[in-house]
Amino acid sequence: MICARECPSWCITIDSHTEPVAGLPAGARDRTRNVLDRFAIDWSLCMYCGICVEECPYDALEWVGDLTPPGSRAGSLVEEMVQPPS
Amino acid sequence: MRWVDWYGDGSLYVLDVALACCTLEFDAASPVLAGPLPTLHDRAQVAVVISGTVTDRLAPAVAAIVDGCEQLAGQRPTVISFGACASSGGPYWDSYAVTKGVDQLVAVDAYVPGCPPPPEALSAVLDDLVGG
Amino acid sequence: MISWAGEIVIKVLSENWLAAVEALQADGFHYFDWLGCVDEIGRSDHFRIVLVVRNIADGAEPEVLSCLLPRDDPKIDSVRGVFAGAAWHEREAAELFGVEFVGGERRRLLLNPEFEGTPLRKDEVLAARTGMNWPGAEEPEEMGDPGKTGASSSRRRMVPPGVPDPAVWGDRDASQAAADPADVAESAIGGRVRRRRT
Repeated sequence: MICARECPSWCITIDSHTEPVAGLPAGARDRTRNVLDRFAIDWSLCMYCGICVEECPYDALEWVGDLTPPGSRAGSLVEEMVQPPS
Repeated sequence: MRWVDWYGDGSLYVLDVALACCTLEFDAASPVLAGPLPTLHDRAQVAVVISGTVTDRLAPAVAAIVDGCEQLAGQRPTVISFGACASSGGPYWDSYAVTKGVDQLVAVDAYVPGCPPPPEALSAVLDDLVGG
Repeated sequence: MISWAGEIVIKVLSENWLAAVEALQADGFHYFDWLGCVDEIGRSDHFRIVLVVRNIADGAEPEVLSCLLPRDDPKIDSVRGVFAGAAWHEREAAELFGVEFVGGERRRLLLNPEFEGTPLRKDEVLAARTGMNWPGAEEPEEMGDPGKTGASSSRRRMVPPGVPDPAVWGDRDASQAAADPADVAESAIGGRVRRRRT
């Protein structure tokens, strides 16, 4: 969430939900964990500032040297980076 | 208008609509200096590259340039939106003065992401779309 | 005379503006550097016109003139008769802030003829972002209860930088009085996540 908040271009879309943690010992307090549903970057808006990479407290984002491929239609530059669980 | 004979053999002529910083990457990618458009032979192709932010004030001029290219070349050019600003307004999408992408004005054949894209990105797109 | 970022700033009343600029030019300050406008809303209810000239023959240090104009009727003499180059700077301040330069050029410089508004005033909201859903507002939803977002249901929803709080601008309660322009300018800062110091 921090990456999406800090992005100056608003190019990151991130969706998640919380799930209860299973398998806790008896009598333990209910706990939940976050599950990532969707992480997408709209490369037509991204200005490659790197703020998202710097801000993530878990170092979940990193720079990669590949060229972002071009698109042929409007909207084709949105890259979905999370595969839904099969 | 001055065109770049991209492969030096008359197969592809490229026009840069130099609006902002992305045009420096166009200059870095361009193999030769620009010159006037000669009479095109049958297999020659033409491409127009929009490099940089399109402001509302300049938008009619950009549209007129693309139309003018079509008349000059006798065929509709391949339009390449080069960089984030040309593709969507980029980081300036919220500005009161910026057009959110050149595709609001003309049909675009390729959107090249980057801020700015490296020169290799332009060469690759031209190679794929038009060249060789 | 006040010291401001290391420079001497001469405060001038608007009725003395033209005379002050002419006096500087007569004094050897022949180089017009720039003229700009600052919206002082939140600090005082004024626009501040700033003009910088230099004496190239004598060190070229900047000489800064500053004049406060009331926000609801900002009028000041044009100095384009003294420095022709000031005309463009004045046109820019006029169309972006709504300042009237008496005797100045009326043509627009940067904006489309049809453009309405004075976009650089701090109480003019950049509407594009207020209309969009901010991706940064997403919080994890609780499973099985899509209407309730996790921890943030008890917290006020954050607004992004540049977007005023809905209570102040936009979707507000119409029965409340209109927002004070200073409130609009202030609230456009938004609620930011504190940066972690690494």
